[in-house]
Amino acid sequence: MEEPINRSQGGESDMECSDNECYEEYYYDLNDDSDIEQVDPSKKDPEHFEYKCLLEEQVERLLNETVERLSNMLDITPSLAKVLLHSHSWNNNEIVTKYRENPTNLLVTSRIEPAVSSTITHNARYIHCPVCVTPQSLDKFYSLSCSHMFCKDCWTTHFEVQITQGISTTISCMARDCVVLAPEDFVLKHLTRPNMREKYQQFTFQDYVKSHPELRFCPGPNCSIVIHSKEMKAKRATCSQCKSIFCFRCGMNYHAPTDCLVIKKWLTKCADDSETANYISAHTKDCPKCHICIEKNGGCNHMQCYNCKHDFCWMCLGDWKSHGSEYYECSRYRENPNIAHESVHAQNVLFQAREALKKYLHYYERWENHSKSLKLEEQTLEKLRSRINQKVMSGLGTWIDWQYLFSAAGLLAKCRYTLQYTYPFAYYMDPGPRKELFEYQQAQLEAEIENLSWKIERAETTDRGDLENQMDIAEKRRTTLLKDFLDV
Amino acid sequence: MAALPRRIIKETQRLMQEPVPGISAVPDDSNARYFHVIVTGPEDSPFEGGLFKLELFLPEDYPMSAPKVRFITKIYHPNIDRLGRICLDILKDKWSPALQIRTVLLSIQALLSAPNPDDPLANDVAELWKVNESEAIRNAKEWTRRYAMDN
Ligand SMILES: [Zn+2]
Ligand SMILES: [Zn+2]
Ligand SMILES: [Zn+2]
Ligand SMILES: [Zn+2]
Repeated sequence: MEEPINRSQGGESDMECSDNECYEEYYYDLNDDSDIEQVDPSKKDPEHFEYKCLLEEQVERLLNETVERLSNMLDITPSLAKVLLHSHSWNNNEIVTKYRENPTNLLVTSRIEPAVSSTITHNARYIHCPVCVTPQSLDKFYSLSCSHMFCKDCWTTHFEVQITQGISTTISCMARDCVVLAPEDFVLKHLTRPNMREKYQQFTFQDYVKSHPELRFCPGPNCSIVIHSKEMKAKRATCSQCKSIFCFRCGMNYHAPTDCLVIKKWLTKCADDSETANYISAHTKDCPKCHICIEKNGGCNHMQCYNCKHDFCWMCLGDWKSHGSEYYECSRYRENPNIAHESVHAQNVLFQAREALKKYLHYYERWENHSKSLKLEEQTLEKLRSRINQKVMSGLGTWIDWQYLFSAAGLLAKCRYTLQYTYPFAYYMDPGPRKELFEYQQAQLEAEIENLSWKIERAETTDRGDLENQMDIAEKRRTTLLKDFLDV
Repeated sequence: MAALPRRIIKETQRLMQEPVPGISAVPDDSNARYFHVIVTGPEDSPFEGGLFKLELFLPEDYPMSAPKVRFITKIYHPNIDRLGRICLDILKDKWSPALQIRTVLLSIQALLSAPNPDDPLANDVAELWKVNESEAIRNAKEWTRRYAMDN
């Protein structure tokens, strides 16, 4: 059997890049340089995350170890231990504590035993099953801890109907108002059809994984990998099998620095407001100087008009000179200072709605734009690949000589991805010094990313040292922002 | 069609021999799993004097699954919607195979005596039932007169 694949993820590769090794190497180099003290790795890398990608049988082994431990400690069957663990989010200690305090109470609230114990006794050799109303001999009857007797066939049908509806760990007794749960061994004893047994075990497995805070199914399509981590946080996990990248806590696309609840709120809002926001997704804008129509075909937001050579920012249409290196205002939304004053007027309901929309559009436009840039930069990378191919073929350097460009493209994608997710974060932040600091750092990051993108698009003429320097700066800005604001 | 389970035969026999007061449930001539039901509006309720038609169907996996029941007669009630669908726990998650057609019909009759606007299915009706009960009751009486009498 295979051993768990240990993956510790931080500065490592996270974006799809066909030349993975090369930029992982870049990071290892970077780490070697700065590895002076070996302390808590998350201090240095705010995204550091220890986890394993487990196969189904490895997860089963892990769950069974917990079940066995509890079953030995409390001297109960493994099936009952599973009921307890499932209803207590697999928290062994909590169960043991509760058991020591009041075992009856634990068993009743966990639906293992009935609240009031029954005193039903059957003296007759033949009784009527309350469900199928067929008289049968007593040895055909079975009951859970509640003593509600039903015939074997009725139990089987009951379980099959429940399983067909996708229910497994929460199947209860057939008696009216009885909440006692049917434990695994009892269910399996009554299931004879192999496909039903298989389905049942598949569903219980899913329920167990979902109720276990240290486990999460990989959200990748048709992927059966389960991520295991003791750190139950909103960290980035990459599936070893299908390469999906997602947030360990909520299973959605990784979303640092935004937290799970906020990103959910933001995505819902974007879906609701997509109509209003649609107009901005147009691919063309007019050059602010000569007004010629310009189409955006790269990811870089530093535009140069092909007609008048004017340098400007695609997002705010401002002069690029003010964007280059210093703190610039493109990423920052300025609240209209008049709102507070004018809100006394009744007519301002409309005005406020318009301001709210304006604010939302500001953040949405940037969120959308960086997402588009990410896709466009992927295409740039493809073009780069073929250009480098041509160069190598015509004797201009070797493959190795050009590898650094792929590392740069990988890093660019990673930085832009984080930048994209800074916009929902900023949107929901309260105005104040902390937001100002955030938007300052966001603007810094944005400026360095656009510099990097610009340099990669013009790779042939860019000096390697210059580009590597730019990579370093961009990644430092990204890490600084996450160190200050990633709160998981 | 598969043979009728003993359970359904027994229940039908008992419904015929000892009918529930105020309720008639008769199996369809061509389909023994389909029942024509008439519930009389309970005394001292806004539905008093009305005769309410319902349909009840026993699905293939009955009694492991709940019967399907629906009002055919229009009724103004917070737990019954325009399509006659009924919001009743025992018809959903609280169903138990040990329950019977008889218990279901008794529960529906009880629901007419005691509407529960805090667990609504028809939201507008429930809302009025909460904020202006006397007007809601007036509406219910009016609907009973208009739709549940003389037919
Ligand atoms: Zn039976
Ligand atoms: Zn029971
Ligand atoms: Zn996967
Ligand atoms: Zn998350």
